[in-house]
Amino acid sequence: MSTAAPPQKAAPRRERAGGRLSNGAFALLLTAPGIALFATIIVYPLVSALFTGFFKQDLRLPGREFVGLENFAYWLDGDFLTILKQTLVFTVGATIVPFVIGFALALALNSGLKGSGFLRGLFLFPWVIPGVVISFLWMWIFNANYGVLNGILMKAGIIEESISWLGQPGTAMLAVIITKTWASFPWMMVMLLAGLQTVPKELHEAASMDGAGSIRRFFAVTWPQVRGVASIVLLLEFIWNFQHFDTIYVLTGGGPAGSTETFATAVYQTAFKGFDIGRATALGGLWMLLLLILVAVYLRITERKGDAR
Amino acid sequence: MTTSGISRRGALRMFGIGALSVAGAGALGACAPSGASTSSNGGDTKSKDFDFTSWSLNEEAAKPSIEKIIKAWEKAEGSRIRAVSYPYNEYLSQLTLKLGGGETTGAVHLDIAWLAAIAQMGKLAELDSTAMKGGYTNVALESGMYDGKQYGLPWNTGSIGVIANSKLLEKAGIKKHPTTIEEFEGALRELKGLGNGIVPYAAATKVAQLKDIFPWMQTFGCTLMDGDEVTIGDDASIDAVTWYKKLHDEKLIASDVDRFDARALFGQGKAAFYDDAIIGKGVTSAQSKDKTLADAMQPMKRPVLRSGDTPQALLWGGVIAIVKGKGQDAATEFALHTTSDRATTTEYFASRALPPSTTVGLSDPKVAQDTFTTEWTEKITDTATGSPFWQFAQNAQIEEAVAKQVQAVLVGKSKPKDAMKKAGEEVAALIRR
Repeated sequence: MSTAAPPQKAAPRRERAGGRLSNGAFALLLTAPGIALFATIIVYPLVSALFTGFFKQDLRLPGREFVGLENFAYWLDGDFLTILKQTLVFTVGATIVPFVIGFALALALNSGLKGSGFLRGLFLFPWVIPGVVISFLWMWIFNANYGVLNGILMKAGIIEESISWLGQPGTAMLAVIITKTWASFPWMMVMLLAGLQTVPKELHEAASMDGAGSIRRFFAVTWPQVRGVASIVLLLEFIWNFQHFDTIYVLTGGGPAGSTETFATAVYQTAFKGFDIGRATALGGLWMLLLLILVAVYLRITERKGDAR
Repeated sequence: MTTSGISRRGALRMFGIGALSVAGAGALGACAPSGASTSSNGGDTKSKDFDFTSWSLNEEAAKPSIEKIIKAWEKAEGSRIRAVSYPYNEYLSQLTLKLGGGETTGAVHLDIAWLAAIAQMGKLAELDSTAMKGGYTNVALESGMYDGKQYGLPWNTGSIGVIANSKLLEKAGIKKHPTTIEEFEGALRELKGLGNGIVPYAAATKVAQLKDIFPWMQTFGCTLMDGDEVTIGDDASIDAVTWYKKLHDEKLIASDVDRFDARALFGQGKAAFYDDAIIGKGVTSAQSKDKTLADAMQPMKRPVLRSGDTPQALLWGGVIAIVKGKGQDAATEFALHTTSDRATTTEYFASRALPPSTTVGLSDPKVAQDTFTTEWTEKITDTATGSPFWQFAQNAQIEEAVAKQVQAVLVGKSKPKDAMKKAGEEVAALIRR
């Protein structure tokens, strides 16, 4: 049972003399189970993992040896910058390209196109397929020796010899970005379409009456209205891509010759192929620091949106 | 301000309980084994039920014959075997994780190259006395040993070598198998001339199977190791990789090929040579639309640098190891039966073309009179050797480190000399680590 006190001018933080709890303390009590669960399944493994980065530890063998910053130095003196660069190339590519496609489709569907309901369902199709299945599908499409893409291009006379899309550094990253684009654009399209549908038609009508063409209307009316949604969509997709694993791992495994290696694949390969859990967690720690920056940006943007309201 | 009906003391008590729970969970987590331990999984060793983990259960061509063995055992013993499988290329890492977490019990199928890595986890039962009952050949028994102890009962012992498609060779006017590198290159060019998207030699170019480069390095004179010294990076290894790169640039071998791609290309009649174990005949011909392909498949001695050199090949085989703990005794009997029972091994040979590892099994007329098997033994297995890296738990990482450097050469990211120097240094560092 709780007893509600009458509203006060300024809510005092301390509890009343009867030993009853304040709002803050009560709220803390209610969140305690959640905090306990969070601490058990998130904080403890995280701290434990970060701690492991200071040890030489083999996943298969018992025992470990403290090596200080050696594991971090291994990466920072070695492949860290290459992996960072490749992660950024993938992340930027797999964020911008589906955004452009998704936005274009959202604009088309929002324009009252005939059959837009059916098309919206059709475009969502790639989104409901599991990422690994999509990756295998595209792996067959891109296969150098019996892939569909080479077959089509050769029949069309565009190429004379098959291209090893996944076997060359120049094309492997492109192939991975295309695959991720196919999987991502429907989500972006849906979010942007939802944003576009909130733009009042009257604004467009007024702009038209003032003589604004479609391009002018887009930049003067549509874009300012959906900019908030677009920035959130872009940032979330950027963060997800920064952590993305399955498409890259299935298609190239980080190859050829490490040319599509990202933080996600490098940590996996180091931990579960190389069994070097110390180095893997050290890289994971560095990766997490970079992710924290992105999360801070996201929180800043969402806070600003909240303040604007 | 509102106040709840809970007193401060009560709340503090609840916080205390919560904090203790978190601390307890943390402490329990800290006490949990980190990766691996030497204890068994703690189950009933006398249980008749156990797991059987094998990559072959993930392969369409192999699955039915293994399931048949399992069903026959279950019927005879009144037990239940849970079949577990992971794809070959992911098998070692998945098995390591499951073993480390105590989730794998019973019998596990292991490539002989992985035995050291798994045995070092301390989860496998020693099988010295059981192995004595099997009648295995000495070579086979050795393939299941690590550090002087028997951890695996040999199921199949063979090698990885080159398989040729005689129909394509005939089409290209090649009358006999090439025996030297020079002849081999000539044959590949003839085959390339056939056009129609032919990949003359479907050699491995993906990291997963680029360990196939080792016999070629040995062909060029690199010993891989000399005592405790890693010799990758010497002139012979550089020559081997330079030659491999030449084949790649002339499109005599193709990019982006692993064992499964090679089998697919060979099965489609688009490759004339590829590397595989003896099992390749059964797997590749089964997935091919060409029903005459099996007859056209021929084992070939790996071409040598100079006439008179010994053809190189890598030993290959599978053993069944037993995980300490639940179902250990029954799993051991199952492994012994599967690997040494004459009727079982002969039937398995008939369905998969994988020769047994026992003296009696090998002398069975069905095995002894099989032309492909006898030719394979004469041309490939007789001169095959194990990798010097198998003795190290880091074998998989060593193979991958070399493979990545070779791939870097193939795609033009590195020069053979630099890549092999780096590969040698990485292998030496892995061995030291």
